[in-house]
Amino acid sequence: MTESLNLSVDRRGDLAVVYTEGYINNQGGEDIAKVAYQLLDEGYKKLLLNLAGTKIVNSIGISILIEIIEKMIEIDGRLGFCCLTPTIEKTFHIMGLAQYARIFPDEPRAVEGLGN
Amino acid sequence: MSRAPSKGSATSLELAGGPWAELAALCGEAGDHDRSFLARLLELWCAAAGAAAAGFYVDRCPAAGPLDLELAWGEADFPDELDRAAPPAGLTLLPLAGAALAVLQPAAPSAERRAAEAEPSPLLLLLTLAARDAQLRRRLKEQSFQVNYRGVELEALYDVGLAVAATLDLEQLSEEILLRAVSLLDARRGALYLLGEGQELGRYRAARTFGGEAGAAFAVEDSGLRAFLAGGAPAPAALLPGARHLLGVAIEIEGSPRGLLAVGDKESRRGVGPFPDGDRRTLALFANQAAIALENARLHRQALEKERLERELDLAAEIQRQILPFALPSVPGFELVGWNRPARQVGGDYYDLRLIGESRLSLVVGDVSGKGMAAALLVSTLHSALRLLQGRSGLAPAFFEDLNGHILESGAAKKFITLLVAELEPATGRLAYLNAGHNPGLLLRRDGRVEELRASGLPLGLLPDIRYEARAAHVEPGDLLCIYTDGITEAENPADEEFGLARLTACLAEHRERPLGELVAAIDDATTRFAEGLSQRDDQTVILLRRDLP
Repeated sequence: MTESLNLSVDRRGDLAVVYTEGYINNQGGEDIAKVAYQLLDEGYKKLLLNLAGTKIVNSIGISILIEIIEKMIEIDGRLGFCCLTPTIEKTFHIMGLAQYARIFPDEPRAVEGLGN
Repeated sequence: MSRAPSKGSATSLELAGGPWAELAALCGEAGDHDRSFLARLLELWCAAAGAAAAGFYVDRCPAAGPLDLELAWGEADFPDELDRAAPPAGLTLLPLAGAALAVLQPAAPSAERRAAEAEPSPLLLLLTLAARDAQLRRRLKEQSFQVNYRGVELEALYDVGLAVAATLDLEQLSEEILLRAVSLLDARRGALYLLGEGQELGRYRAARTFGGEAGAAFAVEDSGLRAFLAGGAPAPAALLPGARHLLGVAIEIEGSPRGLLAVGDKESRRGVGPFPDGDRRTLALFANQAAIALENARLHRQALEKERLERELDLAAEIQRQILPFALPSVPGFELVGWNRPARQVGGDYYDLRLIGESRLSLVVGDVSGKGMAAALLVSTLHSALRLLQGRSGLAPAFFEDLNGHILESGAAKKFITLLVAELEPATGRLAYLNAGHNPGLLLRRDGRVEELRASGLPLGLLPDIRYEARAAHVEPGDLLCIYTDGITEAENPADEEFGLARLTACLAEHRERPLGELVAAIDDATTRFAEGLSQRDDQTVILLRRDLP
């Protein structure tokens, strides 16, 4: 089982999709934030986090994701999540992430949803 | 974070004039993410103090270490964190309660100017209130986060309870339990150990690990481990090698150990540390739920395994049914019968009666140690070997010595075969036989004497390089030959007595004149009555041959 988080980015027009694989904890969250802020600096205002490769996220990781959401709101951008495990999706709803970021079941619907 | 400066409307720290109405309006509009009010305050301060830019820093919640940047105003890059004791060069720090204002000024202010700025003033008061407001908002946010996360914890406990009914796959359940425990407790690593089965009973083995390897196995009675699980001792080093801080609890069903759940290295934004006391209770609650789910999955797996074994035994029984003779050969001048009853679905006993060519009758009785599929397969191997080669080799000891080597090399660990093979020439009554560690065959003479066909070597497959010897006897008219397995002579009664060779011989003698089918039934009846209701423990096989009187 992967302990550290691996990230990859797919830039598609005005949307950047960030793929995660592994544990979204303190280090993993910081890695995501670093990539996300770099994409914002590049001018992307639509970000999609595809968590298909992530089975586990802890409270530190969630707090960092919330910071990214706040940053996106600050710049009037859009952030979405897709391909969450049922456990992570439930956690995101309880923690309030779903109020400020959209959650999609799969990537095609996320790309379509964030584009509108 | 920076904003372009705009022209301020105040020119002194007293904040005289128009900004009051504007600030009041901004304050009224301010929402969670609208920090216009604070930005305007910073702008006013810069205008009053002659500064180019200002950064507003707030204590962390809970307060510890450096200050965090809340908002910046002006054309300057302010660091996200600020050490109150050592601000970066060029920044002048104005301490506020629970906060600080960092100001970038073209030139260092004079001592008089700094003293004047620190004097109570409406603008300073507003900044102090803004600091209080920012701190309260942070605290509220943190507390809201904690409350929500308690909800996640409760949900996890509830979900694991639901998994009792939903997940019966032990592997999947183990992973789910470990991942949830690691994430709930903000651990960096974790391991789920489960009580071993069979030879591993009494030992915990690592069923799932996360974030690194875990020790292979621990004795349940390991005193160091027990002290750790009780909460009063350091963890054994091998439990989660490399972890600096460990927390572990036992997984038990009604006080009986089933496993243990261990997590390592509690994460925070500043790194890893020990787990607070409350985490032990959370993990213990979680382990209680997990215990029920794991027990359910374990019982389900046992039921599946039992079902699989039963299917396997059905198949093995079918194989064995195919091996035993369907019909007995007709041998003029002799009466024959063969009988077998396995103790379980599949036994290790074997017999065969067949003609080899036109002049010889082969009689075989074998007993493979053990029962079940492994024994049935070995019986099948023996049957094939005898059928293929006995006709060619007869009772040549070399053939059986080779067979012994073959069974040893076949890897049938701890399996051996006792075997009595006899070949009768019906025309003459000559009986050649080879006994490999089997019970002695009984040749009851017409005059009542009993001769035993004794073993000339050890059972097949027991040791290498065993030597055998073929021997001979004559079956005279009226003689009765009985070849049997130890399931007959070792049948037990409740007093732990064995039926024995003497009772078998007596039974044979008493009923020797009856048709052989009835004689076999008499043996069965005698052993059953002797057992006094005890179930049959071993396979039972009997071959009887009687030469007709002239």
